[in-house]
Amino acid sequence: MTLVSIRHLTARRTIRGVRLLAALIAIPAILAASAPSAVATESAAGRKDPARAITSQLICPCSCGEILSGCTCETGKSMQGYVTNELSKGKGKEEITAALVAKYGEVILGAPKAEGFNLIVWIAPFVATAIGFVFAALVLRRWVKRRAMAGPGGLATAGAPLTAAAEQDQVDRRARVEAELKRLRE
Amino acid sequence: MSEIGKLALFLGFLCSCYAVGAFAVGLRTGMAGPLRSGRRAVWIVCGLTVLATIILVRALVARDFSYRYVAEHTSLDLPKMYAFSSLWAGQEGSLLLWLLILSAYGAVFLWAYRKRLDPFYDAVAMVVASVMVFFTSLLSFVSPPFRILATPPPDGNGLNPLLQDPGMMIHPPILYTGYVGFIIPFAFGIAVLIMNRSGTRWIEEVRRWTLFNWMFLGFGVLLGARWAYIELGWGGYWGWDPVENASLMPWLVGTAFLHSVMIEQRRGMLKTWNVVLIVLTFELSIFGTFLTRSGVLTSVHSFAESNIGPWFMAFILGSSTIATALILYRKALLESENRMDAVVSREGSFLFNNVLFVALAFATFLGTTFPILSEAVTGSKISVSAPFFNRVNVPIALVLLMLTGIGPVLSWKRATASVMKRNFIIPIFVGIVATLACLPFGLHGIYPIICVFGAAFVMSTVVMEFARGVQARKDIEPPATPAALLHLVQKNKRRYGGYIVHVGVVMIFVGVLGSSVFQKEAHAPLQPGQSMAIGPYALTLQKVEEKQILNATQTRAEVQVSRDGKRLTDMYPAKAMYTKSQQPMTEVALHQTAAEDLYLILGGVNEDGSASIQAYINPLVGFVWMGGIVMVIGTIICLADRMRLRREEKLLVSEEKLLAS
Repeated sequence: MTLVSIRHLTARRTIRGVRLLAALIAIPAILAASAPSAVATESAAGRKDPARAITSQLICPCSCGEILSGCTCETGKSMQGYVTNELSKGKGKEEITAALVAKYGEVILGAPKAEGFNLIVWIAPFVATAIGFVFAALVLRRWVKRRAMAGPGGLATAGAPLTAAAEQDQVDRRARVEAELKRLRE
Repeated sequence: MSEIGKLALFLGFLCSCYAVGAFAVGLRTGMAGPLRSGRRAVWIVCGLTVLATIILVRALVARDFSYRYVAEHTSLDLPKMYAFSSLWAGQEGSLLLWLLILSAYGAVFLWAYRKRLDPFYDAVAMVVASVMVFFTSLLSFVSPPFRILATPPPDGNGLNPLLQDPGMMIHPPILYTGYVGFIIPFAFGIAVLIMNRSGTRWIEEVRRWTLFNWMFLGFGVLLGARWAYIELGWGGYWGWDPVENASLMPWLVGTAFLHSVMIEQRRGMLKTWNVVLIVLTFELSIFGTFLTRSGVLTSVHSFAESNIGPWFMAFILGSSTIATALILYRKALLESENRMDAVVSREGSFLFNNVLFVALAFATFLGTTFPILSEAVTGSKISVSAPFFNRVNVPIALVLLMLTGIGPVLSWKRATASVMKRNFIIPIFVGIVATLACLPFGLHGIYPIICVFGAAFVMSTVVMEFARGVQARKDIEPPATPAALLHLVQKNKRRYGGYIVHVGVVMIFVGVLGSSVFQKEAHAPLQPGQSMAIGPYALTLQKVEEKQILNATQTRAEVQVSRDGKRLTDMYPAKAMYTKSQQPMTEVALHQTAAEDLYLILGGVNEDGSASIQAYINPLVGFVWMGGIVMVIGTIICLADRMRLRREEKLLVSEEKLLAS
């Protein structure tokens, strides 16, 4: 096999490798990232409690800072009562939440609305992860190519750079030992 | 006595400054005298901090209200053990505990390397001493714990009732042991840069220190969760509170480091990245202390609010600038010959693992600090709480769970298709079967399905790894015996210890899944004799009574619990009104089994005499705590592996002999 064909084969393998690993990681990532609304309703559906579906997304307006559904302070309890009461009047989740936001401000929402400046907090983590993945994949490809460019000889002397580093390490260590012994004799 | 305490801290400050100076002179000139003197100064700081702590603890236990700190955080009716633990109830005491642990780390470090005369270790000690300068100056000039009141009050304000819990006696010291401990890896990293030191030996030493701190921090975080579960009374244990997030962030970045350091050890790669991770872990642990103690963010944990914020910010900015400058200055030292055989390899998967851990830490950091940023930009207040983190962090964490299964079974350098097929077909099959088996029990939603699949997948890869290992040793001893398994772990502690840690992680995922998705809740006002039902349990209120306990009046409900018609136990959810704070505190009643917890809260006693009982069934929540213990066991096994260090040590000793002869 010629050197060119080996390189060609390695490059192909690399691309296949990047795709395979990316697929292994990306499939659950895409599934998970595409489902924010699914989980939002899931916790509510899991408990079959419409009041909790609302209160688990809100923060107690007093200084306790707790999620309303689990809040045990007096303000929290009266707010929970308010939500149940409004539900019994036939009002919907959006309507009740909007009324509370109008009264207390957006600070009552457990998570900010994904609009305006606050869009950043929703998007940045996923964008950062994606950039990280792309960067890692590119770096990996470059490293694998570098290895492939070293050719079969490079493969045969797989430990070459390490040996050089190890040699340097030995030289350094010897110098250190000498310095230590010098200090010991002082 | 308070004067002695003040003096001890001030002398500690002077000694820390002296230590930094002495180390700097010694390192620059190569003279042994200043280095020895610097080491002694670190010991002295440790001694002085112990003295200051003893004085403050004595005052707390004796309720000497002439001390402002004692008057603010204790009272005469406070039980003695909580008087002791009120050392870390306020800002000054917490900072003193920080300094105590920091100086103890300094002393332990010097003790561990007492036989080594290599100035590299002095450079490490110099970095530790520099951080000591910061904390001793804070305690001496900004936030002194020994302030005296002109007219001592007859009684103190008392301790925050939330902190009057046995969990709070051990949670902060354990958490701090982890937090503060990251100073040692940080100091190693900075010392390597200062001393322009090449080689891989330091990285093995750093790995062990990091593992130790990481274990304490992780365990501390879980203890905090357990405390929240028992003490806060909202049925859960993790609320994505800023202080919880603060402790999670360094743990996440530390975990990334513990993985990527393996690549550096094996392949000499990622040197710069690893130093960046060490620095980031340390800065995040300082940031955590800053969040907890500065009161910048509203949080149930921020008991103390003060003006130390700018000092911390200055320290974080200063130290990270110095670290960045050093990394750039020593670029050549950190350059490595990065080559890889294949993308699909353990190295490849570790790189993606690092991206995910750092992304998770970033998402947590952004979410935690975003309310301040948003308010500064838009002028309106917002909250970023559990509903946000559950949507953003959970998917990233689930991908990490999948990688926990994929990474360790890929071979180093190159994973061939046949190896992958052999390693993955059974786990994927097990994952699918487990998911299908859970569907009839109400499993639905994309996250829970991925979680069940991932947990089964990871567990089967780990079991297969153990089975393969035992099988490979069948010539030495018959396979599948407990002894064979034990010997397998003994032979390769790092590898199998790591797998055990992964088992712990899976258990935590299972526990979180069970207790969040399958949690059941019911609440009702009950008159004595009335019953309510939740799941298979019937809860009958027997009576409500008032009791006087040490420093509180307790309203206690007696609830008879039956399961499937059979009487099971009596439970006593209560509300306590603490004499000092006059705040009603919820006291949860728990009935724990391996499968689920029955969690009862007394909401209050209504005007008609009925008691509001709130009940939760938290399935599998015990797995979270057990998972934590399994992780600790796995980490201890990893730490027990000293093979590599011993080999290096032997080499060094033989070289020293050779040179001496």
